[in-house]
Amino acid sequence: MAPHSNRWILGAATALSLGVAALPVSAQTPADSARALHLLSRASWGPRPSDIGAVLTMGANTWLDRQLNPENLADRDVEARLKLLPTVSLSMSELYRDYSPRPADVQAARKAQAMGDSGMAKMQDAMTPAERRERAARSPQRLHAELVTAKLQRSVFSERQLEDVMTDFWFNHFNVFFNKGQDRYLVSDYERSAIRPNVFGKFENLLIATAQHPAMLFYLDNWQSVYVDTAARALQNTGPLAARLRARGLNENYARELLELHTLGVDGGYTQADVIEVARALTGWTYEPPRAQQQGQAPQRPAGNRARAGRGMQEVRGKGDVPFVFRAQLHDRDEKTVLGQKLAANRGIEDGMDVMKIVARHPSTARFIATKLVERFVSDKPPADLVDHLADVFQKTNGDLREVTRALFTSDEFYSSEYRHAKVKTPYELVVSAARATGAEVSQSRRSIDLLRTMGHLPYAEPTPAGFPAMSEDWVNSGAMLNRMNFGLDLAGGRVDGVRIDASLMPRGETSTDVLLTAVLPGIDTKRLSQRISEDLAAQSGLTQRARLQRALGLALGSPEFQRR
Amino acid sequence: MSHHHGPRQPRDLSRRAFVRGGSLALLALGLPPDFLTRSLLAQPATSSAARKKTLICIFQRGAVDGLNMVVPFGEKAYYTRRRATAIPAPVRDGTGALDLDGFFGLHPSLKPLHELYGRKELAIVHAVGSPNPTRSHFDAQDFMESATPGVKSTKDGWLNRVLGNTDCADCTGRSLKDGAAHSADHAAGQTGMASTFHPALRGVAMGASMPRALRGQQPALAIADLERFGVGGGRDAAAQTAFERIYGTDGGDLVTDAADDAFEAARILKAANPLQYRSANGVEYPNGDFGRSLRQIAQLIKSDVGVEIAFADIGGWDTHQAQGAVQGQLANRFNELSRGIRALYDDLGDRMDDVVIMTMSEFGRTVAENGTGGTDHGHANCMMIMGGTVSGGRILGDWPGLEREQLYEGRDLNVTTDFRDVFAEVASRHLRTKNLERVFPGHTIAPAKFRGVLGA
Repeated sequence: MAPHSNRWILGAATALSLGVAALPVSAQTPADSARALHLLSRASWGPRPSDIGAVLTMGANTWLDRQLNPENLADRDVEARLKLLPTVSLSMSELYRDYSPRPADVQAARKAQAMGDSGMAKMQDAMTPAERRERAARSPQRLHAELVTAKLQRSVFSERQLEDVMTDFWFNHFNVFFNKGQDRYLVSDYERSAIRPNVFGKFENLLIATAQHPAMLFYLDNWQSVYVDTAARALQNTGPLAARLRARGLNENYARELLELHTLGVDGGYTQADVIEVARALTGWTYEPPRAQQQGQAPQRPAGNRARAGRGMQEVRGKGDVPFVFRAQLHDRDEKTVLGQKLAANRGIEDGMDVMKIVARHPSTARFIATKLVERFVSDKPPADLVDHLADVFQKTNGDLREVTRALFTSDEFYSSEYRHAKVKTPYELVVSAARATGAEVSQSRRSIDLLRTMGHLPYAEPTPAGFPAMSEDWVNSGAMLNRMNFGLDLAGGRVDGVRIDASLMPRGETSTDVLLTAVLPGIDTKRLSQRISEDLAAQSGLTQRARLQRALGLALGSPEFQRR
Repeated sequence: MSHHHGPRQPRDLSRRAFVRGGSLALLALGLPPDFLTRSLLAQPATSSAARKKTLICIFQRGAVDGLNMVVPFGEKAYYTRRRATAIPAPVRDGTGALDLDGFFGLHPSLKPLHELYGRKELAIVHAVGSPNPTRSHFDAQDFMESATPGVKSTKDGWLNRVLGNTDCADCTGRSLKDGAAHSADHAAGQTGMASTFHPALRGVAMGASMPRALRGQQPALAIADLERFGVGGGRDAAAQTAFERIYGTDGGDLVTDAADDAFEAARILKAANPLQYRSANGVEYPNGDFGRSLRQIAQLIKSDVGVEIAFADIGGWDTHQAQGAVQGQLANRFNELSRGIRALYDDLGDRMDDVVIMTMSEFGRTVAENGTGGTDHGHANCMMIMGGTVSGGRILGDWPGLEREQLYEGRDLNVTTDFRDVFAEVASRHLRTKNLERVFPGHTIAPAKFRGVLGA
């Protein structure tokens, strides 16, 4: 993190010139800047003061093209910032090793708890301050907080804005939940290895990456989905794991969500029978849990089964420190029919790979993904022409997400005036866009995390596989609106820890509300808002110039104008 | 949460005018909030507001050990499978379970509730649970809150669907599909509580975030702290006024409507004057979040702000280790639970004739204790339902027994009552909820399956 003082001292001159002078004045028409603003408000996390000028200078399509090839964009600032968050770069097994609760601690805590409040108090008292710090540093809450902070850092500061926005979109599409057991140690890698590298690749590869990642295998239970008879036969009397597996049998959770949420969509033309067939095809798709590795005992592998394994019945191990494993002896080898296509008997991992291909290439999938993209990036009421167009591009390019994304942000419908400044920001978009608009320095911020939690939009904390909703109405209710206003007041008033607004927005000299509003809400008609803010300021007495600006900024960030993008 | 609604009704100007001309004007004049408080609390008990039915749900997150909450001391197997954790059968000196019917007894730390049972105001449904086999806290809570076991993609919670299918007691039976239309009904002056009604106050969860059970299309409020609800934590009237002017438009859209509603809700809650609250009859709530949540629920109900569903959490039930027996970890949790519920019950007093309190927990725990003096994740559990209209003093449901061959998967209490049948009975007989097939999709609701928690 850059030291705060540096940015603070940047001072009025520099940043104010960024904020205001960089606004389009030269050859571009107001229509061009309005288009640039629209593109930035959808394909990035919201314009920084200098962004509109930059887009206008290079042209919207060049900007988009650069964003679609993020590997060519240096991102050293973000890299340096992430280095300050030690847990976010750790591997899954390192996180498990260093951050899962130690048996001794668990035991001590339970013992203390059993003695009631006095026991807990005694345990707290008995710990040295260093022990207390160490315990807090090892907690899952800490992992989560660093993960959220890393996400905020990228969203606010990354040059690779579109990649980050699409990473958010696809993570949410393939949502997993941090607080489900082992996922605490797996989610960080899931975003890093399965999602981010694939957002501009082929949809099918993204799908397979999520299907085979331990975070998803655990979250939707496929890791324990087994062919009952095979499992019972093969794992007889081999201990508690086998007993557990026997008791479970086929688990349809992942298969159902794969069809309903990840690919075809709920009305995509599949039946309950398809769900079961898909689940059968995916039996044996599991992973080697970090616990087993740590204790040096891989899950039991029954003897004598190898001989029965025919061609295609090999065990398959993925890469990585907590690898995907296809366990042939847990797989259902009978024939299956998925969405009308037969999968022959006596095969292994090929069954599941064929399912991935079938669902990724299904026309309903193209349409479902297209609709979801348009809902998030264009309008709550997706225009049918644009959905058709994107579905068409999806199918013609075999699910090339770079081309689908390009088609989205270059279409005429995208730029249609009725969609401008019409989507309500999600709470996460609100927080990030406020930080970007005010040139804020952001470090670990407990208040931001609390606020995101209160507003129901804390990253990695959505328990349902459907992910966070994208519709305006899902995020707008009375309590949420108060939180949004309070966030504006708190941010402007310097009451959000870890977030500090660029000093240039709060110059010492006389600055009118209008200058402030132009910087924070570029391209928006703020006449009415400006008037209301002036009226409020006129009614306040005894405020310093700085306090007046803070209040004006707080009202602006909490205004209905700032709630939309 | 459906993404497809009809168009919003235009806002009713007379309602706004009434509100603006009413409580707001008083506040603007600088009259102290307790003036309003008194006027609100002084409403006669016979007003329509007082007849409003309220359901209070208490979620015991973490899977309470139902076999030690409502102890089947008449089962030999209970004592053969449990030793360190077993609660002794009732004995005269009062150290064992508190006898209910000669077969079941309450954990001794639930004494405050034993008296309610004796007054026939507490009913218990035992061996209640989900048809889904999951033993994951996360999945089971999700299924209980969506009330769609096995279906993870259900977007809204069952309590939100209840709100959407329950006519407000104060309207003339108008559909609640649209919160604005509902507000308009009140503004039309059908009741004396129009000025204190707010659709989002029909469903209130105590806590920072909205629980799954109350999420959905119907407006509802999560209130972390009643005393700090509003702009600037309810303490910055000038900023609220400024925002009201900033948001105030003639047109009205999703954002400005919600904001207008928020200002109104904040005003209503402020008028309920949380800072000045005194519980009735010197009732004392236990310290901690749970006691505070219940106290604030009592405050809201007594303020007649239109709460129909209130929701509170209490955690700490995942007793894998050293759960204790008559005393210990679990006993401490029961102590807090029962003192809290009893305080709420006594604080609400006569109003309990219109209130039902219902406890729930995602699944039960193993019949046998484990090697570390605790119990592991099991299957069926029990629920407690309390209130003046409850057909109490009874243990309802079929008892499946604890012998090995009677157990679910050879280890856990079997489910003989689907939790949705208890939810449905309480919703339909207490709140008069309609369209139960929409509230519990995929589940056949038939009064014949109701256990008689609220009579027939």
